[in-house]
Amino acid sequence: MKRTVPLVLTFIIGMYPIFAFFVPHRVVSNLNDRLDTWLIIVAAFALPLGAVNVFMINFSKISQRRKGWPYSIVILAGLVVMGSIGIAGAYRQDSIGQFQYLFQNIVSPLQSTMFSLLSFYVASAAYRAFRARNLDAGILLVSAIVVMMGRIPFGDMLSRGSMTPLSEWLMTIPNTAAQRGIIIGAALGAASMSIRIILGIERTYLGSGKD
Amino acid sequence: MNLKKMLFIDRRIIYLLVAAGALYPIIRPIGLPVKPTKPVAALYDAVEKMGPEDAVMVSFDYGPSSEPELNPMAEAILRHLFLRKIKVVVLALFPLGGNEEAKSELNKVVREYDLRYGVDYVNLGYKEGGQAVMKRMAISIADVFPVDVDGRPTANMPIMAQAKNYSDVSLLISLATGIIGEWWANLVNPQFGVPVSVGCTAVSAPKYYAYLRAGQMMSLLGGLKGASEYEKLLKDDYASVRQIYEKPEEKKASATTGMDVQSIVHVIIIAFIVFGNVIFFATRKEGSK
Repeated sequence: MKRTVPLVLTFIIGMYPIFAFFVPHRVVSNLNDRLDTWLIIVAAFALPLGAVNVFMINFSKISQRRKGWPYSIVILAGLVVMGSIGIAGAYRQDSIGQFQYLFQNIVSPLQSTMFSLLSFYVASAAYRAFRARNLDAGILLVSAIVVMMGRIPFGDMLSRGSMTPLSEWLMTIPNTAAQRGIIIGAALGAASMSIRIILGIERTYLGSGKD
Repeated sequence: MNLKKMLFIDRRIIYLLVAAGALYPIIRPIGLPVKPTKPVAALYDAVEKMGPEDAVMVSFDYGPSSEPELNPMAEAILRHLFLRKIKVVVLALFPLGGNEEAKSELNKVVREYDLRYGVDYVNLGYKEGGQAVMKRMAISIADVFPVDVDGRPTANMPIMAQAKNYSDVSLLISLATGIIGEWWANLVNPQFGVPVSVGCTAVSAPKYYAYLRAGQMMSLLGGLKGASEYEKLLKDDYASVRQIYEKPEEKKASATTGMDVQSIVHVIIIAFIVFGNVIFFATRKEGSK
């Protein structure tokens, strides 16, 4: 019963939008629109669920003094401070300013710093690992240099304006061909996974099955 | 000199060179010339053809990690939309800061123009749900966002009468990091026919070319380069915008200045790659002797 009811519900809720897509009758699509609204509400509930999950994992890490536990204190402090000020902001208009202030002065610089460190690592990694060891690697290397030069005005200055068109061609033709393969492959994968879930073949979302 | 040793150069030297290359143009801007490309010009031309009767949705689908690339893009696009007196509906679907980015960028740009909130523009705020939100807005935008970012009811706002659902929206611009920009292109455009334009980070630009070529996107602004090209088009046509970008604080934060930094850092990285390969081949030759 504990597993049958969720499986039946998943089948009905999963099949209905497919049915509604092929039967565009007002009555059918009205219920489908309602399902979309429910989905927004369910997704909103996923946010506090995520917060509870972060809290539980980090709380147990601190209590058991597992490796890196002081970092968990920082995570929990951030969660509590930002979360409480944000929630308070929903009731008191003045707290919105405080939340924005903390976001702009702590969260934003921290994330920007993390992202900007990439340029240093990329430079170092490219120097150490980007080698034309064979023909494939050579083609990749030349393409990378053309695209990098095409992304900067300096490239056009050196090549009398030919680097940007060459880079655009690489992005528009060979890159698009590869991207289409990836996108179609991912879409087929998502569709087959959805069918497996709807038909009850894939059941990992139900948990371990232990009571 | 042992060439092999050069392959294991101290990484701190590389870091130092990259840091110097990034800092120099910030202190002394070079002002390298920017040439607009077709995917960027397509958005600019589309906006140029619009007017007060049009409504454009701008979705802030990025967070602080993408700020350096997408903030200049957001500012240039918002400036252009407001100059054309187009009705602007702002929303955010990215959970980690999309709402805050929308607020700060919108607040910054609206101060430059004489605009009425709820009439010329509105900030609907963040809504969780991604694709479900996108699908639901095809029926009614006000139903999905009954209140705006500050909790004010949207139903009575004049702008919402002009933007009831997608059929009233002339263009949708997503400033995106991650997958949300793709959802606008592969769900909203094909199902509801809204022209979609995506502004994204340079690292995620390659995947959007597939949608651009398929006609699911009408334009693409890739990274800082896309932003600087848009700035250039805007500055060339509007003297008032030129004046804004000449202010020192705006100049420093502009994509055009950012392109100077990107240019030098790219050249440094390319130089290291070429240098590394030259040593690699030289040492391989030595080894085979």
